[in-house]
Amino acid sequence: MSDADLLAAFANGQRTAALTLTQRLTPRVMGQAYRMLGNRAEAEDVAQDAMMRLWKIAPDWDADRAQVTTWLYRVVANLCTDRLRKSGRGVALDAIEEPADKAPSVVQQLQDTARATALRNAMADLPERQAQAVSLRHLESLGNPQIADIMDTNVRTVESLIARGKRALIAKLAGRKADLGYDDDH
Amino acid sequence: MTMTIDDKMPSDNMLDDTFAVMAASAVQPSEALLNAIMMDADSVLAVPITPRARAKSSFGAMILDVIGGWPSFSGLAAATVAGLWIGVSPPAAISDISAGYLGSTVEIQLLNDDIFAGLDL
Repeated sequence: MSDADLLAAFANGQRTAALTLTQRLTPRVMGQAYRMLGNRAEAEDVAQDAMMRLWKIAPDWDADRAQVTTWLYRVVANLCTDRLRKSGRGVALDAIEEPADKAPSVVQQLQDTARATALRNAMADLPERQAQAVSLRHLESLGNPQIADIMDTNVRTVESLIARGKRALIAKLAGRKADLGYDDDH
Repeated sequence: MTMTIDDKMPSDNMLDDTFAVMAASAVQPSEALLNAIMMDADSVLAVPITPRARAKSSFGAMILDVIGGWPSFSGLAAATVAGLWIGVSPPAAISDISAGYLGSTVEIQLLNDDIFAGLDL
């Protein structure tokens, strides 16, 4: 049964349809939120909020208009960029603890965390649509046509949003190259 | 050798590498989250589905609604036209009544006759 069929069944009062949709869609929703926010508790809040919106829209769902997953990508991206912007973004790099174990894998993991944190901080400052396009392309690995569907725009605009977003991220991370250990890699 | 701005900036590749690490991070929803989402679904199911909100009506439709629909509107229109006609050309009986009530027939001149003076009508 398709997501849209299940949603229609839910709108008609079938609880089992909600159960199937929850099991089918929550991992994807949770994953997207976690990749954008980097925080499990916040990602769970967003996932619950997004699914609640899905239940509420069920009676008015127009199956011809959009796919459920496309709609959810949009909702989660919106909720996450809202959170990123409102929180001004979370963890300062200094707050990431030095590892007791200096094994290369642990050091690498710490460095990855620091880079990801710096990147999320920078994304919090991007214009909302640039942040959404960049995250859908580079964190969700979606193609530009699908991103255009999700963002209700065309492919050229998506390309432009991603290019401008990435340029802005690089500019925001200027001066941090050594700080983030990029010198060691390249 | 002097360091240029470019030396200090991460490259596109560096950004892509970090995105790749972030994209690879995966978490599974907890049992508690799945339960909470199902409780939300139950709360939505518990509320009977109300009919969709009616399409936004026009101002005219809103007025019609207020006065009680087309039957009331046609009655109101007929009364308005009758009232207007009685005002313009009162039947003799009405003139008698108003004359009896007021003691005399009252004429109110709304336009000065001079207003048309000089016009070749």
